Amino acid sequence: MTCPICKKPTDAKYRPFCSRRCADVDLGRWLTESYVIPAAEGEEETPAEGDDDGGLPRS
Amino acid sequence: MAEAARKPAEYGADSIKVLKGLEAVRKRPGMYIGDTDDGSGLHHMVYEVVDNGIDEALAGHATAVTVKIHADSSVSVRDNGRGIPVDIHEGEGVSAAEVIMTQLHAGGKFNNTDEGGNAYKVSGGLHGVGVSVVNALSEWLELTVWRDETEYRARFEHGECVEHVREIGPAPGMRGTEVRFLASAKTNIPEGTFSNLDYSFKTLENRLRELAFLNSGVRIIVEDARPAEPLHTELFYEGGVREYVKYLDRSKSSIMAEPIYMIGERNGMTVEVAMWWNDSYNEMVLPFTNNIPQRDGGTHLAGFRGALTRTINGYAQATGIAKKEKIDFTGDDAREGLTCVLSVKVPDPKFSSQTKDKLVSSEVRPAVENLVNEKLSEWFEENPSQAKVIVGKIIEAAMAREAARKARELTRRKTALDVASLPGKLADCQERDPAKSEIFLVEGDSAGGSAKQGRSRSNQAVLPLKGKILNVERARFDRMLASQEIGTLITALGTGIGRDEFDIKKLRYHKVVIMTDADVDGAHIRTLILTFFFRQMPELIEGGYLYIAQPPLYKVARGKSEVYIKDQAGLEDYLIDMGLDGAILRLGNGEELAGEDLRRVINGARQFRRVLESFPTNYPRNLLEQAALAGAFDPGQADADLQAVADTVAVRLNLIAAEYEKGWAGRITQDHGIRLSRILRGVEELRTLDGAVLRSGEARRLSSISRETRDSFRDPAKLVRKDREQLVYGPTDLLKSILAEGEKGLTLQRYKGLGEMNPEQLWETTLDPEARTLLQVKVDDLAEADDIFTKLMGDVVEPRRDFIQQNALNVENLDF
Repeated sequence: MTCPICKKPTDAKYRPFCSRRCADVDLGRWLTESYVIPAAEGEEETPAEGDDDGGLPRS
Repeated sequence: MAEAARKPAEYGADSIKVLKGLEAVRKRPGMYIGDTDDGSGLHHMVYEVVDNGIDEALAGHATAVTVKIHADSSVSVRDNGRGIPVDIHEGEGVSAAEVIMTQLHAGGKFNNTDEGGNAYKVSGGLHGVGVSVVNALSEWLELTVWRDETEYRARFEHGECVEHVREIGPAPGMRGTEVRFLASAKTNIPEGTFSNLDYSFKTLENRLRELAFLNSGVRIIVEDARPAEPLHTELFYEGGVREYVKYLDRSKSSIMAEPIYMIGERNGMTVEVAMWWNDSYNEMVLPFTNNIPQRDGGTHLAGFRGALTRTINGYAQATGIAKKEKIDFTGDDAREGLTCVLSVKVPDPKFSSQTKDKLVSSEVRPAVENLVNEKLSEWFEENPSQAKVIVGKIIEAAMAREAARKARELTRRKTALDVASLPGKLADCQERDPAKSEIFLVEGDSAGGSAKQGRSRSNQAVLPLKGKILNVERARFDRMLASQEIGTLITALGTGIGRDEFDIKKLRYHKVVIMTDADVDGAHIRTLILTFFFRQMPELIEGGYLYIAQPPLYKVARGKSEVYIKDQAGLEDYLIDMGLDGAILRLGNGEELAGEDLRRVINGARQFRRVLESFPTNYPRNLLEQAALAGAFDPGQADADLQAVADTVAVRLNLIAAEYEKGWAGRITQDHGIRLSRILRGVEELRTLDGAVLRSGEARRLSSISRETRDSFRDPAKLVRKDREQLVYGPTDLLKSILAEGEKGLTLQRYKGLGEMNPEQLWETTLDPEARTLLQVKVDDLAEADDIFTKLMGDVVEPRRDFIQQNALNVENLDF
C-alpha cells in the first residue's frame, strides 16, 4: 500500500501515509477545503427550521 | 653549536624586532593558530600554508597544491605557481622569501616585483596571520622555491633563518614553492608548542575538499606517508560550489536535476551561490567568507535568507499560487529541505570573534541580498516548471506546519458542550458512557432535523453535516466538507485530530453512524466522510466504531400493510413473493412446478438475467437467451461443429416463433460466428452472433449457470394462474410475468432522500436498534481503500463518478 499524498510506501505508524509530513499535508487539505468531489448541479440545502434538539424518550 | 657563525652578516636591529614578533607568537600560540592541545591548531598550521598555494592558484599562476604528511610527522605543501620571490627585499635587506617566513602579517600581500600592486586582491589565509606563524611554531621549516629554472632553498629553526636562501642548482621546467615543516611538539622538545603531532588524514581531507569545492579548478592532492599503505586522494571539482551542493546531498534525493547557480559582483565583493532542495525537512546552508566557514552565519546569511523569502513570496503572489492554496508561508517553510553553499569574497571582512564563526561586515548583507534577489527572480522566470515544483514543496511545508497548529487548536477546544450550544449543530444524547452512545452524522440540515426529532435522545446524538457546494466553473459544481464542519465533527467525537493529538480512548460514541441519502450525491458525501476517517482517524475504523446506516429506498403498501425495503434487490424479492402466490409453471413435458420449486426456477432465472446483462449491449438479448437455451455457448461447441451450432439455434428460434413466422436458417460467418436469417413478408431478417461472442467469457458463464434453466425451458412452458395462462419461452419471460403480477394492487414509493421521511418513519426504519440494519465499515484491505482515495480525488470527473456509484467500500452486515 502506498501513501495517498506522495505514493511512497506506507509507514504503519502513520498509516495510510508514509510520514508525519504527508499526514499533516493531508489534514491541511481537509482543513483548507482543498478536497472536492463532483456534485449534482445547482442543488443547495436549505437550513431546517424549528426544533434543534428534539428526540423522543425511547426505551 | 656554531649558530652565530651561520648567521647572516646583515642580521641587524630590524631583524631583532622580527624575532620579538615571532617570540610573541610562541608565547601565545592560541591567539594566532588556535588550540594547541585538541588538534585544531595543529591542523590550522597546514591550512595556513595551503592557503598561500590556493591564492597562487586563484591568481591564475598555479593549478595544483599537494599536501603530504610525511612519516616523521612533518608536513609539506607544494604548489606549482610562480615560486616565492627570492631576490633581496629592498626594505628589509634580506630575500623576500625570508621576510615572508619571519615577519608577522607579511604573508599574502607582499609587493610583487613582476606585476606591481598587491599580488592578491583577496587574502585567503584562515587566520590571515601568514606563514610566519607556522614558521614560528615549527621545530624546523624548509623552504624550496623553483623559479627561473633554478632551485633555491632556505632553512629555519624555531622561526630563525639558519640557512639563507641559496641556489641549489638548475631545475629546468620546474616552478612553484614547497614548504615542509615539523611543528614543534612537547613530545619532541620540552618547550614545544603542540601536545602532539597526530594529524588526522580525514580532518585534513575534509577541509581540503571544502577548499577544492570553493576554488573551482584547483587540484588538491592529499597524501599520507605514515601508514604502511600510504593514502592518496585527489580533490578536483570543476563544478565548484555546484558540485559541493551535490556532494552534500549525495545520500539525499533532490527535487531538482541541477542546483541553481548564481555568481556576480557587488561593490567589489564576489557572491557565489549554489542551491537546491531535497525531499528531506532539514535546512543546510553553509556560508563562507574568503573560503572560511562561518558556523554561526552572519550578514551574508541574513542577506541570502531575506532575498530567498522575498523572491519566492513574490513569485507565489505573481503566479497566483499563494492565493489558490490559501496559505502563507514563512522563511522556515522556504528553507525546508534546502541545501545551499553561499560563498562571498570580501576584501576586508570583519568577524565577531577570533574564530571567525560569524561575519559582521554590514556591507555584505545588501550585496548578497541584491544579487540573490536579482538572479533568483530571473531563474524562477526562466524555469517555470521547476519553480512550480519548488513552490509546491514550500507550500506543502507551510500546509503541514499550519495543519499541525490547527490540529492542536481543534484538540484543545475542549468540550462538545461548546458545539452543542452552536445553533443547528450537534444534538447530543443524555448518555455519558461511550459504549452505550451513538452519533449519527446526517447529510443535510433538513434530514438532520428529522433525525433529531426521530431519535432516541437518551443515547443517540445527531450531527448534521452539510456538503458545501462550490461553483468552480459555470459548467461544474464541486462538493466538499466545509472546514468548519470538520472542526465540529472532530470536537463532537472528542478524540482530537492530528498525529500527536488524536486519542481514540477519548471517543465519545462507540457507534459513529454515517447516514446519507441513497442517491449519487449521498454516495459522494459518504465517500468523502469515509475518506476523511480512513486518512485521519484510521483507529476509528480499526476499532470497529464506524457504521453506515441503511435507510430504506422504497416503501410499498398493499391495502393497509406497509413495508420498507432497503434496495432494488429487496424490492424484487418482495415482488416475487407476491407474484409467486397462486402461480404454477407447467413445463413442456407436462411437469408442474409451484411454491418453493417454482421459486428455485425463478432464482435461476434471476441469475440467468444477471449474466445476460453483462454481455455487451450490441447483442440482442433475446437472441443470446435463446442461443444459450439451445446450448450454443457450451464450451467447445463452436469450435467442434459450428454449422451444427447454427442449426440448433435456428431450430430453437423456429420452436418459439409463431406458426407462420418460422423459417429460420443458420449459416457460418467469415469470423467463425453464426448468422440466422429468415424471409418474413418478403423481407430478409438477419441476426448475428459473431465469433468473439460465441467464445467469450460471458458465454461460458451463461452456459455454466443455465443447466437447470435449460431443462425447464427445453420446450415452451406455460405460466398458469387461476383465471388465465401464458406461454413463456425462457427465463426472461418468466421473471417479467411474475414481477408484473407481484406489482398488482401495490403502492410503491421511492425515497429520494432522508428528508422525505418523517421523524417517526426515520426512527422505525433507520434509527431503532430493534429494526434497523447497520453496515460496519472495515479496512480489511487497506490497498483497496487507497484505491478509492485515488480515484475519488482524481482529476478525471467521469471515471470517479462511476467508481463512486459502484463502490461502497468494504462493509459488512450487522444488527440483523
